[in-house]
Amino acid sequence: MRILIVTVRVPFVRGGAEVLAEDLCRVLIEAGHQAEIVAIPFKSYPPERILDQLLACRLLDLSETGGAPVDRLIGLKFPAYLIPHPRKVIWMLHQHRQAYDLWQHPLNDLHTYANGLDVRSAIHAADMKLLPQSRGIFTISRNVALRLKAYCGLDATPLYPPPRDGGRFHTRPAEDFLYFPSRINRLKRQDLALRALALTRSRVRICFSGPADDRGFERECADLSRKEALQNRVQWLGAVSEEEKRDLYARCLGVLFPPLDEDYGYITLEALLARKAVITCADSGGPLEFVVHRETGIIAEPTPQSLATAMDDLWDDRDRAKQWGDAGRQRYSDLRIDWGNVIENLLQ
Amino acid sequence: MKILVATSGVPFIRGAAEILAGSLLEELSEAGHEAELTVIPFKDYPPNRIPDQILACRLLDLTESCGIRIDRVIGLNFPAYLIPHPHKVIWLQHQHRSAYDLWDQPAAGGLVHSPDGPVIRETIRRADRELIPEAEAIYTQSLKVSDRLLRYCGIAAAPLYYPPANALLFYKSPPADYFFFPSPINAANRQWLAIQALAQCRERVRIRFAGEPGSRTQQAECVHAARKLKLNDRIEWLGGVSEDRKRDLYAHCLGVVFPPADEDYGCVTLEAMLSSKPVITCSDSGGPLEFVLDRQTGLVAQPTSESLAQAMDMLWADRGCGAAMGEAGRARYRDLHISWANVVEKLLC
Repeated sequence: MRILIVTVRVPFVRGGAEVLAEDLCRVLIEAGHQAEIVAIPFKSYPPERILDQLLACRLLDLSETGGAPVDRLIGLKFPAYLIPHPRKVIWMLHQHRQAYDLWQHPLNDLHTYANGLDVRSAIHAADMKLLPQSRGIFTISRNVALRLKAYCGLDATPLYPPPRDGGRFHTRPAEDFLYFPSRINRLKRQDLALRALALTRSRVRICFSGPADDRGFERECADLSRKEALQNRVQWLGAVSEEEKRDLYARCLGVLFPPLDEDYGYITLEALLARKAVITCADSGGPLEFVVHRETGIIAEPTPQSLATAMDDLWDDRDRAKQWGDAGRQRYSDLRIDWGNVIENLLQ
Repeated sequence: MKILVATSGVPFIRGAAEILAGSLLEELSEAGHEAELTVIPFKDYPPNRIPDQILACRLLDLTESCGIRIDRVIGLNFPAYLIPHPHKVIWLQHQHRSAYDLWDQPAAGGLVHSPDGPVIRETIRRADRELIPEAEAIYTQSLKVSDRLLRYCGIAAAPLYYPPANALLFYKSPPADYFFFPSPINAANRQWLAIQALAQCRERVRIRFAGEPGSRTQQAECVHAARKLKLNDRIEWLGGVSEDRKRDLYAHCLGVVFPPADEDYGCVTLEAMLSSKPVITCSDSGGPLEFVLDRQTGLVAQPTSESLAQAMDMLWADRGCGAAMGEAGRARYRDLHISWANVVEKLLC
């Protein structure tokens, strides 16, 4: 098949979405298809520019190239997933969240513009009317599917993308630390973990890795650990290589992943691959699709006290932590999180 | 500087524009800039889709990314060069030729055959005339492209030449007994003309052709013609060759035969000059004529088999003359200041 993957790209920014598109493209080629990524540049401000770019996407024609049909279009991100095509499937990474769940969120500003409400309505209308013009709608997680249902009334099936280099994760006997691998920013809630750490009964230790997105927040975290006298119980590794990351997963006692309403979260899957129990929160979104409470990890309330209890729990019973890790690995297999399954669904 | 190179591309098809964009990106990065490529998909049929895509390009916004200014956009081809930007430079590889010079060549297909062709043609021409001048500076890939832009749109622009890929790796060796004809095999590159000329040579001239068959039928016709003219032992079809092998073939040849019909630029000429070899081209070949000086760095023949045969005979018989022309070509390449440093400087000033 000749397959085009359509997405948007913010120039000079590279993140998980780009990695996912490249992985998908590579896997399609390995499966014997001709595949290419079409990335439309996108700028989300001022709000009226969003609608211009939505129209631009509707004006493009990817039905054929050089006289030969494009057999399948796979749309990943707004507004590129609205490019028309007779044989399109959508594998939604996310909608334009500022117009949905992040509307009026303190970290976003669409609602502060005079035309913000109009633009939001136009985005809703476009998604509701145009998304159904596809052969199928998949999402990268149940969280994204639930949002689509709640806001647009559209049904979609979650189709989980596996983490990169899934085969290279391994496990080793647990050492004395919980691992918290995430970029350092407010939505990942390193601060919550520190407040919880101050309340633990056992001398729990946490190892953080990941670059800081937000310098101010990074400083707050450092101040907090000083104030609570936690310096010798936390370690900040900053950005680490993929290999170091896999080693930390392999050696930790469990993985701490309490973000706020994460879309998906590869971290949960990586923890499962490394046979480690996961501690997450009831409002963490994506991780809740994979963590089964007290079977493969602990789902705490998003409060320091509840999170502290969960950390103590894991710290005090190493055998159970190992059992949960093994059960997590089994769950990963049962969920059929593999590229073969993804491709089969997207191309059927 | 943060620089975006904007091109239009046909998915699944990689052509000269993509290769050029790749080289430009590398050079910009090496010069210490942050450069990225943005490729807008383009489909030029049915013709009424063309204005849609002009509009799509006009609706895009490349001024900033996450609050950080994009300092420069470099537009290469239609319609991506129409994307607005306050600091845009156009390095025009080609306009939509079907609305310009190819309009008068119905054999080339395109717009002229469509009922709404004239309207679409005017839309394209108006967009070019009114919007190209928005750029802070306009360069073209060759004199030919400049001429066309001036003639049809009244816009003046200087050509800005770029070196072939891996220019430093070309070298020269004493000539062996063959001419080299490196081009994809298709009607416009006129391998067929060279075969007809070969049949009329007085000398036992030999030609080695390298290049993928752009069209199977053209390849088959050439092979058939060569057989009919009993030229089999004087022709070799090498097909696609590696870059290394190509440079060897340049280095050891007696001269390069490059007689395309109205080529825009043609890196072949420059590669021949880098290998210190004389170039045989035709008076209607376009791009090569910007570089080949008749009887100084090569021979400009008429586009007839007789004239081309004479040119080949002449270089075959007088090796000293060919070698001198090759050296003169190498010197001319140097004098033209064809370098990426020059290109980058012009595009960013």
